[in-house]
Amino acid sequence: MAEMRSGRRPWTFYALAAFFTLFVLFLYGPMSAIYILSFQGPNGGLTFPLNGVSLKWFYALFQQQRTGDIAGSFARSIALALIVLILTVVISVMAGLAFRRRFLGAGVIFYMAIASLIMPGLLVSLGIGLMFQFLGIGTNWYTSALGAHLTWTLPFGLLIMFAVFSRFNRAYEEAARDLGASDWAILWTIVLPILLPGMIAVALFGFTLSYDEFPRTSIAVGPSNTLPLEIWNMTTNVTSPALYAIGTVTTAVSFLVIALALGSIALIQRRRTRRVLQTSEGGR
Amino acid sequence: MAQTGEIQLERVTKRFGPMVAVRDIELVIPHGCYCCLLGPSGCGKTTILRMIAGHEEPSAGRVRIGGEDVTGLAPVGRGTAMMFQSYALFPHMSVLDNVAYNLRMRGVGKAARREQAQAMLARVHLEAFADRMPAQLSGGQQQRVALARALITNPRVLLLDEPLSALDEFLRLQMRGELRRLQRELGITFIHVTHTQLEAIALADLVVVMDQGRIEQAGSAQAIYSEPQTAYVARFMGGQNVLSGKVTTVAEGEAILLSEPGDRFALPVQGRALPVGTPVHCAVRRDRIQLERLPGPGRAGQINALAGTVHAIEYQGSYVKVTLDVPGWPDFVANVADDRFFAAPVDIGDAVRARWSANDAHLLEGDLGRAPKAAGTIGLYDQELGLAQA
Repeated sequence: MAEMRSGRRPWTFYALAAFFTLFVLFLYGPMSAIYILSFQGPNGGLTFPLNGVSLKWFYALFQQQRTGDIAGSFARSIALALIVLILTVVISVMAGLAFRRRFLGAGVIFYMAIASLIMPGLLVSLGIGLMFQFLGIGTNWYTSALGAHLTWTLPFGLLIMFAVFSRFNRAYEEAARDLGASDWAILWTIVLPILLPGMIAVALFGFTLSYDEFPRTSIAVGPSNTLPLEIWNMTTNVTSPALYAIGTVTTAVSFLVIALALGSIALIQRRRTRRVLQTSEGGR
Repeated sequence: MAQTGEIQLERVTKRFGPMVAVRDIELVIPHGCYCCLLGPSGCGKTTILRMIAGHEEPSAGRVRIGGEDVTGLAPVGRGTAMMFQSYALFPHMSVLDNVAYNLRMRGVGKAARREQAQAMLARVHLEAFADRMPAQLSGGQQQRVALARALITNPRVLLLDEPLSALDEFLRLQMRGELRRLQRELGITFIHVTHTQLEAIALADLVVVMDQGRIEQAGSAQAIYSEPQTAYVARFMGGQNVLSGKVTTVAEGEAILLSEPGDRFALPVQGRALPVGTPVHCAVRRDRIQLERLPGPGRAGQINALAGTVHAIEYQGSYVKVTLDVPGWPDFVANVADDRFFAAPVDIGDAVRARWSANDAHLLEGDLGRAPKAAGTIGLYDQELGLAQA
């Protein structure tokens, strides 16, 4: 059967397969080179061939270096991404709830939020930096840069919540109200648990968009760099495979975050469709 | 809830922006009654249900339950429980937690509410499914969970929004019987919204036929089916042919009508004053019509008879539905009992005469009215929902 089918494959199959192979090579080839080279031996250089294998460059990352503060900027980036995650989820859910009612100016507010997706990031950063200077407040990663990140993550969060709410059946809320639930009880026992997978998706976007944000942070970051800015600085003056080790570590963090998010969504979906062995109090 | 489940709608009107979904309705549904609100989509029947439940407030008028004015009261204060069209079972809770939800909201302890919910599940024969999630149940099982979840509130009125529309034909008939039995057992008021004529007349003590936000007729199933008051109800219920003509003579309680194509119909005046020349409409039961084969096309040539050709034949088991092409009277149907039909069968294209006796015709009120809307027309209510979601 499979052979019969392969015998009848049109030429477009091979053309598209070749195109896809090229795509995968371009996507993962260069990155793979970086990951492999990050395990370069102690005496190795920035290019192939590998001169032995070691973890020296990873170790070097977490030493305070004259070339850059990797450990510090990594901690700052993670902290910032977590703050952005929380704010993005909370604000997006609340905005999603608000936009279900057509309030005065809903359209204007929506388009203004979406417009910040199209605005050049560097200009947003410049504007925020100038405004802080004008007001006489120092820029910092947890003030001005946080705001800059939110201009980027909130529109995404809002769009996701719109998609989630468009599939949300209002009869659930009415049924709960019919059964005597207060507005708060409806929110906590019905709306939020049903929206949870969507909220995790918003959290994932919030975290990853903030974690590798560059242009919007560049001018608004203040005295201490986030990780992407630090890496950028180091590319100009670091000449050791430690640079590649940064790439490997940050990629690992990204994958970890994605796996956590997708894993928890899958877990929730499975709980809803598969037989639960022990009756649980839903929504708690 | 010791009060009764008598529902009174007093001059209730509901507007959604410029659209009027329900117009100035007066209706009394007695306690312990199985009432069906019947009509095409958009006729306002669901809006009425939602106003009784408290999910919609009337733009004008009052809603009383058990004599008490509940207008403006929250759903939970009304002693009603609603079963939603798609059941709206909470997808993230087990069947047991769904059924126990009302008790949880009332602050009943975990052990006590589980016990009660389990007992309610046993009542709908789902005790073995307590730990399942709603998505793992069949449509019929989901419906019974929804029923249990509503009944655990101990309501005096149960409101059912198209409860059978999501089920297949076999289950629909089965659940129909179960709903009726349950209503008898509980002795509370059931209000059931449907667009299916047969469902309404099979179930209801009181059928309320609606169109365009108005009540066309409210009465027993038998009255609605065999004595429709208006042309709309006669057409919508489907058991009647609607004819019309001008009164020519009235004598001995019988009126003679002359139709536009020139046919003459006799019918009882039913105590109404019918001046000569009045245009009136009448309905003739489809199952009281006798067919005779004619040698060829022509006029019927007698009173209470129409001549035409057979357009379609549908075998329905106990009877045969014969649709005729009669000049001037579209959709004229004779339902012929199967034994009579097969004793003297007719075929498509045959010329026939349809006859009936004057007593099988009866007068209709008002003008010919609107033709029933085709199923699937987007109604006011649906449009409103669409707006709210956009």
